[in-house]
Amino acid sequence: GRFVYLPRPPVLLIAALTGCGPGVLTRTLLNAGARVVALESDRAFLPELQSLENSLHGQLEVVHCDFFRLDPLGCGSMKPPAMYSEKLFENLGILAVPWTADVPVKIIGFLPQKKERNTLWKFIFVMYERSSIYRYGRIELNMFVSEKEYKVLTAKPGELRSYQALSVLLQTACEIQLLHMLLPNDHLCLVRMTPRRHLFTGGMTTTNSSTFIHMVKQCLAKRKSKLIDRLNSWSPDSGSKILRELEIPENIITGNLYPEEYRRLFEAMEHSKEFSQSWLYDEVLENNRNINF
Amino acid sequence: MWQPSSHPVVRQDPLLGNTALGGPGQLPLPRSDTLAKSLSFSGSWGSRSPARGWGEVTHSCQRSVKLRIWGVWEATRVLEARIKQLQADNISEVTVDRVDVAPLRKSSFRCPAPSPAGKEPAAKVREGGVSSSGAPSQPSRWVEKLKKEKWIKHKRQLKLEQKFSAAASPPGAERTSLPVLEQGKAAGAKESQGQAKASNKYGSIQLIIMSYLESCLFLHQPERAQQCLMFYHRSHARRKLLGIKMYDILMHGWANKGSLNQIGRLFVMLEEAGLKPNLSCYAAALECMGRAGAPAAVIKRCVQQLEEDGFNLDELFRDAVYEDDKREMVLKAIRIIEPNFQPLSQPHPEICTSPLLRDFYSKEKPVSYPKLDFSVCELRERFRQQLEMEASNTVTISSVESAKPLTEQARELLTALRSEWRKSLLQTLRESKIHMANRRSWQMSLYPYLCLLEDKEYVDIMLQSLSSLPPQGESLLVLAKELGTKIYNKYAVRKKSRSRLMEKIQKVYDEYVQLLAKDAQLDSYLPREYWEKLEASSGSSLLSKDCTWPHILMVQLGTHMVELLVQVIKVQSNILNPSLEAKLIPVLYHVYSFRSSRQIGFIKPHPILTQILSSAAETTLTFDSFVMPMLCPPVPWTSPHFGAYILLPTKLMRCVEGAIQHQLLLEECPRSNLHSVLDALNQLGNCPWKINQPVLDIIISIFNAKGSEKLSIPPPLSEAPKPSVALHLGPGTPWSKSSLKRELTQCRKKMVEMYSLRMDSLYKLSIANHMRDKVFWFPHNMDFRGRTYPCPPYFNHLGSDVTRAILLFAEGKPLGAHGLDWLKIHLINLTGLKKKNSLRERLAYANEIMEEILDSADNPLTGRKWWMDTDEPWQALACCMEIAKALRSPDPTAYISHFPIHQDGSCNGLQHYAALGRDVIGATSVNLMPCDSPQDVYSGVARQVEEFRKQDAQEGMKVAQVLDGFISRKVVKQTVMTVVYGVTRYGGRLQIEKRLKEIDGFPQEYIWEASHYLVQQVFNSLKEMFSGTREIQIWLTESARLIAKSGNTVEWVTPLGLPIVQPYHRAKSTVVSAKGSRGTGSLKPDTVKQKNAFPPNFIHSLDSTHMMLTALHCHRRGLTFVSVHDCYWTHALTVDVMNQVCREQFVELHSQPILQDLSRFMLQKYCTHSL
Repeated sequence: GRFVYLPRPPVLLIAALTGCGPGVLTRTLLNAGARVVALESDRAFLPELQSLENSLHGQLEVVHCDFFRLDPLGCGSMKPPAMYSEKLFENLGILAVPWTADVPVKIIGFLPQKKERNTLWKFIFVMYERSSIYRYGRIELNMFVSEKEYKVLTAKPGELRSYQALSVLLQTACEIQLLHMLLPNDHLCLVRMTPRRHLFTGGMTTTNSSTFIHMVKQCLAKRKSKLIDRLNSWSPDSGSKILRELEIPENIITGNLYPEEYRRLFEAMEHSKEFSQSWLYDEVLENNRNINF
Repeated sequence: MWQPSSHPVVRQDPLLGNTALGGPGQLPLPRSDTLAKSLSFSGSWGSRSPARGWGEVTHSCQRSVKLRIWGVWEATRVLEARIKQLQADNISEVTVDRVDVAPLRKSSFRCPAPSPAGKEPAAKVREGGVSSSGAPSQPSRWVEKLKKEKWIKHKRQLKLEQKFSAAASPPGAERTSLPVLEQGKAAGAKESQGQAKASNKYGSIQLIIMSYLESCLFLHQPERAQQCLMFYHRSHARRKLLGIKMYDILMHGWANKGSLNQIGRLFVMLEEAGLKPNLSCYAAALECMGRAGAPAAVIKRCVQQLEEDGFNLDELFRDAVYEDDKREMVLKAIRIIEPNFQPLSQPHPEICTSPLLRDFYSKEKPVSYPKLDFSVCELRERFRQQLEMEASNTVTISSVESAKPLTEQARELLTALRSEWRKSLLQTLRESKIHMANRRSWQMSLYPYLCLLEDKEYVDIMLQSLSSLPPQGESLLVLAKELGTKIYNKYAVRKKSRSRLMEKIQKVYDEYVQLLAKDAQLDSYLPREYWEKLEASSGSSLLSKDCTWPHILMVQLGTHMVELLVQVIKVQSNILNPSLEAKLIPVLYHVYSFRSSRQIGFIKPHPILTQILSSAAETTLTFDSFVMPMLCPPVPWTSPHFGAYILLPTKLMRCVEGAIQHQLLLEECPRSNLHSVLDALNQLGNCPWKINQPVLDIIISIFNAKGSEKLSIPPPLSEAPKPSVALHLGPGTPWSKSSLKRELTQCRKKMVEMYSLRMDSLYKLSIANHMRDKVFWFPHNMDFRGRTYPCPPYFNHLGSDVTRAILLFAEGKPLGAHGLDWLKIHLINLTGLKKKNSLRERLAYANEIMEEILDSADNPLTGRKWWMDTDEPWQALACCMEIAKALRSPDPTAYISHFPIHQDGSCNGLQHYAALGRDVIGATSVNLMPCDSPQDVYSGVARQVEEFRKQDAQEGMKVAQVLDGFISRKVVKQTVMTVVYGVTRYGGRLQIEKRLKEIDGFPQEYIWEASHYLVQQVFNSLKEMFSGTREIQIWLTESARLIAKSGNTVEWVTPLGLPIVQPYHRAKSTVVSAKGSRGTGSLKPDTVKQKNAFPPNFIHSLDSTHMMLTALHCHRRGLTFVSVHDCYWTHALTVDVMNQVCREQFVELHSQPILQDLSRFMLQKYCTHSL
């Protein structure tokens, strides 16, 4: 079951304790007086939730919807639990707010265990594009993720094993905060990911952000490679100049660069004539988003 | 010199390290060490380095002295304990090897029997107590050491167990640790059953070592090879990787040099490693003795040793493989002690055991096989042409693409650049070689592989691949593999020509053509039989026992080449536009492409290169010679190692990259089991072909005009869609920008697709054009299920409609009484019309539209173009032309036709299932039962689905109502066809979705739901119609699941005796780097794939069996026969005979207890241990 919850700063709660019905989390939220919208993907749990809904007089709303399959790539009529985010938000009466406004909706839930990584990538893509749920503003995600994935999310430069493209992209886009470690045995971490208010200021736009994503992916594909080699292959001889401008050491390896530095590097590259005219930069870094979620 | 009695202590020397590998519980008799020692001693005569030989002996003497001091029986006792311990060690170590993947490396978690070592020796002491008066009561140092070792081990064990249970306790970790445990258990259990799989013994690391040794020997550097072998031999852990073959390779290397003492040393090493010398080792020793002129006593002792090992001299000449003058040398040595020795050179006649072919091979009456329409001289001449082509390794032919004007300047530029690149590549290659040669390490490096060819040849190979690099780049792995394969092929050819094998093959072939040529009388042999006979009488084997390089080695070598290319190839950035600033920039780039969650290394060329290449528009294409069809009848397959091309190495069985189990299985199985399969392949390969020139000309004209997507002639890139200009002018709102980007991406994607299609067509047409006046052959090999394929990759009769249309049988036969009718029926079959009508009706229809047919034949591009609207337009056109010619000939029945008539199985997989399950309804629907008109299973299924739909629609199901009027044969066809081959609901839905999208007027918003619904109904209908099929499928799947779960791969044997193994294993990614990589151990079978693929693979193995049976019997009856899997081709004259043979053989095949045999085989193979 997945729950959406809408109090003053509205919260979408996805308590996906499938098999347990409305979980402890829901109860707690309801008891705290929050307005909860339950997004339930499993038809089997709907009746129970619906009876709860009826008893709560509007505090709980139940929608048959699989949150992690919002906005699928296919087109045509959508049958629940698949759904367009537009329709979901419209039905819930949530209006889009500017990116810099406060968090309009909070979402709580469990990342689907088997495809944690893919789901996170999907969030990254839509966040940088400001599409799907992020068209409505800075949606705050509160997700239970495995400890392993949490380590990747919060990895620091130099931790070559876990510091990956995902880490850089997510840290650039969000503030990441560990709220809770659930059940020592499960090693599940409740992580809050709040999109940064200033994500789309400076050089980053929804159009060029895909270039940023691909730049980071290309750089961190091999974390022990030298940054300058990457840069030079995109635009010959321009690497050392741009690194000097940014006061980044020339011999740095890609796994040692901070997310902020990647962002500054990207902005500098976007402004530089050499890079924006380079064939490879353009072609390789084009967004070939053919990921199957 | 060969007097073991003079070294009594040596006999006692049990070589402590490896006794455990001998028989359990007893001291292994040092069998060959006496030979080894004597050989070492023999170093004193005529040898180069006596010091080494002596060193070996002194060493063992010291050890034996030590033993004597401690007392013989005491040593025995300790040793026995040690054996036990090592045995225990051994088992657990093997177990651990299998769990390599797990974090718990190098440690055992299987508890050996609790301290058996302490008690049992004591019992033994009492037993042996007769010989000595009293056991020393205080433990010797040896015993103490042993105890200590045991204790440490025990402690380690405890620690590990603790760690293990600790790791297992948090539920979070369970996911990773549990399977490991199971895996270990399974492996351990299997090991204790003594089922050490041979495939593990010669896995890819072993192949790498063998390739390395062979390469060193090829370079005449046995010292380097010896160093490598010693590197592995010296360490106990590494020694386990070695097998008898490695020592054997080196022995032959030294034998070639006549260094007897080195061979002696190797025998010592064999003993140390606990390996038993094989026949080939003795052959090497004797060869060496023959070469070095060893004294009779030495030879006598060696032969004695050979016989003690259970071999005899006749076997030596029958089973061992000799190259060059090795055979003569061995014979020379033996004749020193037995001057009158004459080897029995009788090829042992083995009769095919399959009941299906017993009659075929028994040959009570003399049989006659068809001849080729060539004279002996012509065939010999053709062989020489083919040999020349293969020896030169590449073929350059002219491209059919019409030349563009004004390319002189660009071509000059390209030539200049190439010579510059050639120079710098040559230099860097040499530097890298020097760098590698200077590295002091006994470990394997790429160095020898970089010396096999001339430096120049490596550079040529690199530049060749640079020219054929597609503009969008190529995956590093593919590119590296291609380069590595090219080097390997060149090396293999060179090796063969150097070893005089080439001359011998030529000699045998010159004789062999007597069997095929029309002007020779010889008959009643199958090609393989005659070739074997010739080979046997020629005295030396044509086989080379060299190992093929493993996939990983080719990739490593190729990666090194790619690395060189990336580093070295540079170009001035302003070369095409001098106004820009000059900068030397690389031409190739490493980039990553991301697919799903994987990242793939790509090599991408700078657009400058693409531009130069395209504007130079070179009018020639360079291919590896195996890409071309053969110019002479292929060398017949006589073993899994030999056949097809003359020099180029070809695999009998194609395999997925890196899989070696097929080859091993083929080597292990009795040779007579393969006879029928080899004969069928030879027969398919012996069919001569020629080009249908008028059709080729029409195709080329369209190809050089704008192509035609409708006629599947890919248009040139100039026809590619361009991004619309309007968007460029847009003011740059984020929306239009991103949609522009999307459009650009789409265009680029389309370009890439078009490019690869265009190139593929260009290759095919250019090859066809090159062969336009020639007669040629397609050598065949097969995949792991026995399905046969022509070896040349681009141009062959398996290809698309276009390529099939330009192929004709080189041999012509008169149409005969029914030939013309068959031509007409064939034409209608190609159109895809009249599927439901009987043959008679199809013939009538052909006669009805004869005017259209003749118009198509006469004015293909200007007339009414009837042929263009058929299913297979090009073949239809070719057929129209043939009909026209036949009709207009004075006597159509005498008209000589080269045209292949196809007879297609109707859903062949289902036919086999229906026959296996004796499904009457199913069998009727796939035309296994006599019927008035041809049945069409697809229509049948469609009808059934429609019935289900009607019911559902009546019950108010929305999607069933929406689908009203949309269910047709076409919608379900692909799914029905592939369901036999294991298509899942998921795949089936995608297929149906595609079909629904093609239907105009189908409400698109229902596509997902409708396809989902339909695939379910198709499955239900099939279940209804083919009840037996379903049960068989379930049984096969379940068996495969259990087999895979038990840690085995699924194997079976076809009714012809071909052994089959499914090569699906869990993927284990290896990072490839030029510096070297770690070998992959034995892999765990991929249960899902093993299970899902078994039913279709089994059915494929049956359809290939049926095809081979038909091929052999057609050959017997004098027919030309080729096949495209379940579609059989022959001349119009002989269609009736072929159909008869086909039916007879189908019945014959299914009269066998196929499923019972399979069940028996599986029970015996996988279940005997538990029974």
